[in-house]
Amino acid sequence: MAGSVGTDWGTSMKRAWILFPILIFLFACGQKENLEEVNYRLKWLYNVSTVGDLYAEAQGYFARHGLRVNVKPGGPERDALKELELGHAQFGVASADQVLRAAAKGAPIVVLAQLFQVNPLNWIYRPDQTLFATPEDLKGKRIGVTFGGNDEAILRALLARYGITEDQVSLFSVRYDYTPFYEGKVDFWPLYLNAQAVIIGEKLEKAGEKYAFMSPDALGVRFVANSVVTTREMLEKRPETVKRFLTALLQGWQDALDPKNEDQAVKVLLAADRETPEAVVRRQLPVTRQLMTTSPASEFGKIDTAAWQQTEEIMRTQKLIPGPVAVETLLAPGNTE
Amino acid sequence: MQLEGRHISFRYPNASGEVFSDLHFRIAGAGFHALFGPSGVGKTTLAKMLTGAIRGFEGEILENGVRRVLYTYNLERLPGWSNVRAHFEEIAPPAGRSRMDELIETFGMEASITARFHRLSLGQQNRANLIRYLLQDFELLIMDESLANVDELTREKIILKVKAMFPDRSFLYISHNVAEVAKFCSQVLVLRSPAKAPQVVSVQGRDHREGAAPDPGMLERAMLEIVHAA
Amino acid sequence: MLHRRIYQFFIIYFLGVGLLLALKYGLSLSDYVIPSPGEIWRTGRTYAGPYLLAVLNTLAVAVLGHIVSICLATMVAILGRLTAWVGSFIRTAAFNIQAYPIVAVAPIIFILLGDGLASRLLIAAMICYFPLLLSFIGVFSEPVREIEHFFESTGRMTWRLQVKIRAFENIQKLTTVIVGSATMAMVGTIVAEFIAATAGIGYSIRIALYQSDLAKILVALFLIGIGTSLYLVSLEWIGNALQARLKRT
Repeated sequence: MAGSVGTDWGTSMKRAWILFPILIFLFACGQKENLEEVNYRLKWLYNVSTVGDLYAEAQGYFARHGLRVNVKPGGPERDALKELELGHAQFGVASADQVLRAAAKGAPIVVLAQLFQVNPLNWIYRPDQTLFATPEDLKGKRIGVTFGGNDEAILRALLARYGITEDQVSLFSVRYDYTPFYEGKVDFWPLYLNAQAVIIGEKLEKAGEKYAFMSPDALGVRFVANSVVTTREMLEKRPETVKRFLTALLQGWQDALDPKNEDQAVKVLLAADRETPEAVVRRQLPVTRQLMTTSPASEFGKIDTAAWQQTEEIMRTQKLIPGPVAVETLLAPGNTE
Repeated sequence: MQLEGRHISFRYPNASGEVFSDLHFRIAGAGFHALFGPSGVGKTTLAKMLTGAIRGFEGEILENGVRRVLYTYNLERLPGWSNVRAHFEEIAPPAGRSRMDELIETFGMEASITARFHRLSLGQQNRANLIRYLLQDFELLIMDESLANVDELTREKIILKVKAMFPDRSFLYISHNVAEVAKFCSQVLVLRSPAKAPQVVSVQGRDHREGAAPDPGMLERAMLEIVHAA
Repeated sequence: MLHRRIYQFFIIYFLGVGLLLALKYGLSLSDYVIPSPGEIWRTGRTYAGPYLLAVLNTLAVAVLGHIVSICLATMVAILGRLTAWVGSFIRTAAFNIQAYPIVAVAPIIFILLGDGLASRLLIAAMICYFPLLLSFIGVFSEPVREIEHFFESTGRMTWRLQVKIRAFENIQKLTTVIVGSATMAMVGTIVAEFIAATAGIGYSIRIALYQSDLAKILVALFLIGIGTSLYLVSLEWIGNALQARLKRT
């Protein structure tokens, strides 16, 4: 330091500049209470299919396990698996077809839990206007599809299984709103039975229109749906974090789907999903329960290995993946059956 | 033809001083007149008043027998899409066409007439521009440094030819060149700064014509008179 | 043999792809995140055909929109010469409107006019309109005194002649802004398609994005680059031919 310090004002200013950031730092640390922060990227927007994720966060299950989880909504532009590999997220939700496609290309993904035990994906249609007696009747129809979504994979598998080529149907790109279906521009519209089906069904009822569902499951295309995933690296390098996350998450889901906690679950969901009215949410929850838990006795989130193998086989035979994927290596030990 | 200016005062907007202060001048008769003065004294401004391009001045300009005053300057250019001859043919009124070939020859433009304007030298450009003006109808043609890039010999030739070909027209030759102005012009208006009164002094030039015998002594006297007046 | 613009595009494109691959191998990213060169090639072979058609589709709309824009800008700029008031009003309006991102208005246009050609054409035209207009107004409102003076003083000036003089004197500037706005037209059309259309290469890119298929996106970008470069090359060629014809002695 050269020469004298100067004025008193100069000295106190210097001290302030040093103290200030220290105070901020302490303040921030205090706020965090030593919680480990992770990002959790969901598959789609906040809706009833994410009630357990939101419940676990809102009711402090993650905090109690020393985690601060940023539950981020997905969308057509988002891909949880890519974010995992690039390190933008530590946990994610993806459907089996997405996971298998990624794994076939070498993505180091591991499945931790399976949310849906029964695949909720169906296509809604108006039986009065659209003839659908056999799968071949799909020819010449306008079918809504979320490009990049699991419904695209399922539809392609369905078309391939029944020998229908893509130019024999008309694919309509689906994003967020259902208007094209309401307006009759699209014959088949993809939806989750527990979520959009309730909303759209109610609207059609009000308009006095009949509706029906095409179930790929019933037509022999059985895919596993939303599952919780992480990277191999997370499992190897931060196994404690993974364990704590999974424990908190599964507990949160279990409690969220418990009828005893329905009011609280509804409240949490409505805070995140502003679009859906309460009455509809209350109708969606029982359906969700049904699709996510096979029996009251079984634990939530169990991975159905056989179903995964079946998904892999369909995708392989329909050429939706370039080669076989060793499903067993994907599924985390300790949570499979 | 006669043009007379009385009590002319003028100041450019946002300018500190006056350009003209109670100025008087008179140009009369056919022939080559001159407007002489140092740079920036207001020669171009006065020319613009004569054409009507500048109107907001005090005083008046009286015209007699003047239907059209044209003003030309040395920076003018011909349009670039046709060659010089094509342009001449387009802009020459029927009366002027017969003179076109004569002018082209006198001005030494035969070779360059088929070229586009931008390919000509500066001197050729000056000449091409002047030719097209000479082909127009006018009572007074103001030439503001119109032959600035032409060499002295050719300039002399041109001025003499113009005087011979257009004896009934008037020209106002704006120039810095004392010798030239003294030799070829009949009436020389010497424009001075507004501080001096009168601001315009008229000096008699030698009005040298083709075929006439030059008189060096008288010429020198005229030159001195002009310089003295400035 | 190949035009310099095409070379430039190739260099930029392959540099970009090279960078991506360097990132892939540097960070050990799987083929899922960044595809391997083999996969890019295979995707290219499969999708070159349909994407080429989509690019031509988009290019046609962009070119048409561009031409409409040029004609409109020319007319308005010529009208803007009439009085100083009209000219400066148009200029100010153009300055203010051009700052607004036209592509943000794209969804509204698609709702009103539908998914078809009309919407895409309108957006393509609107995107390149204002820079063209401002440039044209600048050119057509500014007198070229050294040439116009003769015609004015001899009473020969007509509005056609005045426009011709000013256009001719500024042909270089006009060509530059036309070539520049061509790129804008192409980019704008693609972005508009991306946001709300169901045809064109922008739409194809959106689908590829949803499918997280980077290989498809790279193939699309390649074809877009080629298409745009060829369009610009054609424009420059036309501009040069025009200038050469006018300058011939």
